[in-house]
Amino acid sequence: MNAQNIDNKPKVQKETKNKIRVEFERTPLKERLKAKFLSTFFLQKVVFYIFRLVLLVGISYIVLFPFFSKITGSIMAPEDFADATVRLIPKNVSFDIYKAIWTDNAYLEAFTNTLLLSVSTALLQTFICCFVAYGLAKFKFKGNGLIFLAVIFSLTIPHQTLQFSMSEKFVNFDILGIMQFLNGGGINILGIFKYTNESLAAIDIIPDSWEMFIDGYAMNLTNTFWPLIVLSICGLAFKNGLYIFMLRQFFRGVPDELEESAYIDGSGIMRTFFTIILPLSVPMMITVFLFSFSWQWTDEFYINLFFPGSDTVLMDDIYRNVPTTLSKLMDTVDTDISLYKTAIRNTGGLMIIAPLIVMYLFCQRYLIQGIERSGLTAD
Amino acid sequence: MTTDVKIKAPKKRRNASLDKRKARGGWLFVLPFVLGFVLIYIPIIIDSIRYSFSLASYADVAGAPMNFEFVGWANYSNALFEDANFVQNLVKGLTDMVMDIPMILIFSLFMAVLLNQKMAGRAVFRAIFFIPVILSTGLMESIEASNTLGQNMGGADGIDDGSGQSTAGDLVSTLDLQQMFDGMAVGQGLVSFVTNAINNIFDIVNRSGVQMLIFLAGLQSISPAIYESVQIDGASAWETFWKITFPMISPMILVNAVYTIIDSFTTNSNVVMNFIQNIYGQSMEGKGISSAMAWMYFLVVLAIIGIVAAIMSAYVFYQRKD
Repeated sequence: MNAQNIDNKPKVQKETKNKIRVEFERTPLKERLKAKFLSTFFLQKVVFYIFRLVLLVGISYIVLFPFFSKITGSIMAPEDFADATVRLIPKNVSFDIYKAIWTDNAYLEAFTNTLLLSVSTALLQTFICCFVAYGLAKFKFKGNGLIFLAVIFSLTIPHQTLQFSMSEKFVNFDILGIMQFLNGGGINILGIFKYTNESLAAIDIIPDSWEMFIDGYAMNLTNTFWPLIVLSICGLAFKNGLYIFMLRQFFRGVPDELEESAYIDGSGIMRTFFTIILPLSVPMMITVFLFSFSWQWTDEFYINLFFPGSDTVLMDDIYRNVPTTLSKLMDTVDTDISLYKTAIRNTGGLMIIAPLIVMYLFCQRYLIQGIERSGLTAD
Repeated sequence: MTTDVKIKAPKKRRNASLDKRKARGGWLFVLPFVLGFVLIYIPIIIDSIRYSFSLASYADVAGAPMNFEFVGWANYSNALFEDANFVQNLVKGLTDMVMDIPMILIFSLFMAVLLNQKMAGRAVFRAIFFIPVILSTGLMESIEASNTLGQNMGGADGIDDGSGQSTAGDLVSTLDLQQMFDGMAVGQGLVSFVTNAINNIFDIVNRSGVQMLIFLAGLQSISPAIYESVQIDGASAWETFWKITFPMISPMILVNAVYTIIDSFTTNSNVVMNFIQNIYGQSMEGKGISSAMAWMYFLVVLAIIGIVAAIMSAYVFYQRKD
């Protein structure tokens, strides 16, 4: 012990006025490696590293594998499904399924219609949710807490509970009789709106106990984009409560001093919001946009509800048409291969989400950034 | 003295007006939601409650509003006592939920902690883990469901379509796991819980995306200074997690628990919701009954949320900010 201490004593090699150069006697390489790699600390680190890597890779596999198998399944020729030796890599590549789905359905039309619907609702939802969340996060006024509670409440009620009354609401859309007033003369105000029967007023169809249904002039908004747009404008569409909650937490993390300095410089509330707060929250807004866009894109529930018998072709119709394509394609194959059926269904799904995959590839960077900057706190 | 007062007076007034202006600004920001909530959402809710107490029938003229006849509690008693499947489905749906929620919470917290560490390829893993949030919803869920159905009927195996069973079947066989656990002296319930979790791993990964996001964001907000000081004090990673990360993230656990409950009972794959959806589509009488069922289910779930929130909020730790 003592001897070692003496050995390791630093030796002053050179001493000038300003500098002192000291050289320690170095421990031999073997000793150093031993100390570094044979410690429990290092062992723990390695074990943990491997464990983490295996876990992450494994779960990535679980996430990615279905997509991989769907894609390979979609380009397999029918005979590959009967062949037991073919499992994941197709032997005979064919794009018949894609072609069939493309021609059987008005894919392009469905694509443009759904794009229009999703972009408009997602943009509206993003901005409205930003507005509401900013108001809730940064302004103290009476009823703030109550409104936040209402937001959470609107998130909590399942849409299935409200589906009947919601569809009824938009079949006979009227707010405080305004629509009836505007529509009273039977003048077509906006070409998009469709009427319910004008001659209804003459017929006595009103049940005694339901006086709210008197207006025969209310508008039928179903089979148009309006129900979803109206819901988006009010921040009441699918999962908007979640967006408002997320954005509210984000805005709470933005320091007040930022706005205060803007106010002192003479900027108004709106201008501060648009020129200072919004640019700050772009990653978070893209996150919300990504969610609302893709959830609207693959939505089935609201489309079924608001487009009961429509000529507007949407992505949902492609999904519903897949069985007809399926039976057509199955006619060309002599045997009934259930794997082929699955592959056809999956291809339909792939074609529906293909635009989302492309979008995700470009936007995931912002999604990750949005998470990193959000700094949620739950108080 | 007099000059002092003169200076003070306008200053006070300006302060008050700024507060007022800010309050008005706040109202302006939340106005779209408030208007929509009061004018559209509340009427919809009231209508829905009314419908659950009434019998709907088509109007005499096409395009006219439907007729509604008030029938009192008939829909509710029909759902509870006459429908053979509703109560059964309700119980099944609730037990599923109780099983799923801890699993989703544990998994998403665990993954969030992993994804929060500095390592090579972190961005790639994050991007992969959030794929299901974007892509496995709505229509895709329905396609998966119809695949599983077709597979069960066709008895096909081989190609994995990500319908859950086959994925896990490829990775580990449930039987092996059960054998492994049989040797240990743990309860049968725990064994089935764990094997269930592994069988449903695809489902769980799919459903814990938003939760992971919320947890990750919560983890980001923990000050690095705390970790630094703990490290200096010589705490191990295990201790750091339980003494620092867990309490600091506990508010997020509450938020996520509530969100998971809400999410799991509003998704399309939910047993009860599917059942209600079927009833809704079947007939006109079904519309009133389905409204009644949905309201009952909602109240039960609301009660569960209340209980969970009450229990958890007793243990939640809020950092005091000064």
